[in-house]
Amino acid sequence: METNPEFDQYMDRYFNYLGQWESPSKCGLKVVNRKDGKTLAIATEIYRQNPGTPVTEWCAPLATNIMMELQCPHEQFIFIEHTPDLGSKLTFYDESFDLVNFEWNGESLIHPTWTRLTPEQVEKMMLD
Amino acid sequence: MKFKLIYPRWEKLEGQTIFNLPPHGPVVMAAAIPHHVEIDFTDENVEELVIDESPDFVGISMMLTTQVKRGWEIADQYRKLGKKVIFGGISTMLHAEETMLHADSVFLGEVEGRLDLVFQDFHKNDLKKIYNFMSKPPDMGLIGPAKRDILKKDLYYHKGFRMVDLFHASRGCIYDCYPCAVRYLGGRNFRPRPIDRVVEELSQMDNNRLFIVDNSLALDTQWEKDLFKAMIPLKKKWVSHTIEDKDEVLDLAAQAGAWYVYQAVFDTSDYIKNRIKQYHEYGIAVEGTILLGLDNQTEDDIKRLVDFLLEIELDLAEFTVLAPFPHTKAYSDLLKQGRIFDTDWNHYNAGKVVYHPKHMSAERLSELYQYAWDTFYKDEPQTMKMFNLINKVVSREIADGTYTPRRRDIADLSFGKKVPKVA
Repeated sequence: METNPEFDQYMDRYFNYLGQWESPSKCGLKVVNRKDGKTLAIATEIYRQNPGTPVTEWCAPLATNIMMELQCPHEQFIFIEHTPDLGSKLTFYDESFDLVNFEWNGESLIHPTWTRLTPEQVEKMMLD
Repeated sequence: MKFKLIYPRWEKLEGQTIFNLPPHGPVVMAAAIPHHVEIDFTDENVEELVIDESPDFVGISMMLTTQVKRGWEIADQYRKLGKKVIFGGISTMLHAEETMLHADSVFLGEVEGRLDLVFQDFHKNDLKKIYNFMSKPPDMGLIGPAKRDILKKDLYYHKGFRMVDLFHASRGCIYDCYPCAVRYLGGRNFRPRPIDRVVEELSQMDNNRLFIVDNSLALDTQWEKDLFKAMIPLKKKWVSHTIEDKDEVLDLAAQAGAWYVYQAVFDTSDYIKNRIKQYHEYGIAVEGTILLGLDNQTEDDIKRLVDFLLEIELDLAEFTVLAPFPHTKAYSDLLKQGRIFDTDWNHYNAGKVVYHPKHMSAERLSELYQYAWDTFYKDEPQTMKMFNLINKVVSREIADGTYTPRRRDIADLSFGKKVPKVA
């Protein structure tokens, strides 16, 4: 299994996907099977190691893709976007977590909306 | 077969120079069009577009987000006449889905070696809705000299002075900067052109003054040094984005004709101060590009930054406000946070505020943007600073015998239009 020491706190493996215009793309992925029966997926943006479409830009198709691969029903699926701290003095490269809510059209997750989470909230969600 | 190639007009940013540079995208595209095709090019920024039934096929090349709505309008009119329309260029890629609603076809990616197929499909009446080459960059050796003879050259003079010609020596960028979409457009790898191909193109250009439009020349030291060495005998004078700050690189750049560089000034650090000083030591002037409205800037930060620019003796400065163009991290972040309030693409000109800044209102950021322009050019207006910059290059050209005097026959014209006489 490939790992990335920079980002591995929220990442167990890489997830390859076809991004926009069929661009080969990849992100970090951590999957937590929660006690309440729900599946939590954390997709990490890996910046320069991602040759294609960033996680946020391909959020709904990517989340659908992961959910299908995990064979998880949409109502049991929780998706979090994670951008790691790149050590820049520019604040927009700080670490961030966003819980992404979607609508379900019967086939795919669509219309993402984002809610910012603190790392503590993420830790708690992983333990639920 | 007649192919009408159009570069749509856009509204200039207040405070920017009135200059219209010959566009680069259309001439690069034209070089990849099969030879049997007759190209009739119109740059709407310098001439009127007449929409009629004469072309067989219409192409619209767009670079800026502020061109897309006009491009769509033109396409709609041609399609009403029954003409097939294909779109290409940077802002076609940025706005591909929307553009497809106004197009028979969109071309995504880089054109070299790909347009024969498009024109064959057109002839067979089998034009595809999309030609997707986004993740398939061509062999860099295929990039030949741009086809600049499609330009009506006399239209790119201001009072007899010729504008710089645009040129590129590489594509792609290893960085993924916050406001920039090059990662999406050109990929995350730096792809330099073979130096012999670059020299071949440069030596064919009749303009001594150039703008090397590469995102950054500072991505491969050896290539950069080899490029500058190869450029020295050509005696061109040029403008570019950042050059590496190594002395041996700057020395070669100066010998190769570096006139001035665009340098992003994002803080008031000694690093920036020394960088400007270093360029000046090699006789290279600096135009600062200053992006206002980032989340780490307060009102005080912006005012301090403007004071700093005056202190470090920049030769020119260009201020912009953050425009969250699609396929940038800026766009993704602001979208996630629900902070974008204006989605009219005509307003994405980097002069209008289209989002809620973090530390001030949108109105206050607009005021500070104006304050920055006014304060920087208070004691010495932009035209005077530009004049000084031109004098510098003229002196160098006279010294090395490359100076071309201004053209008297079109001295009363500015980009093809009569200049009103001052009483």
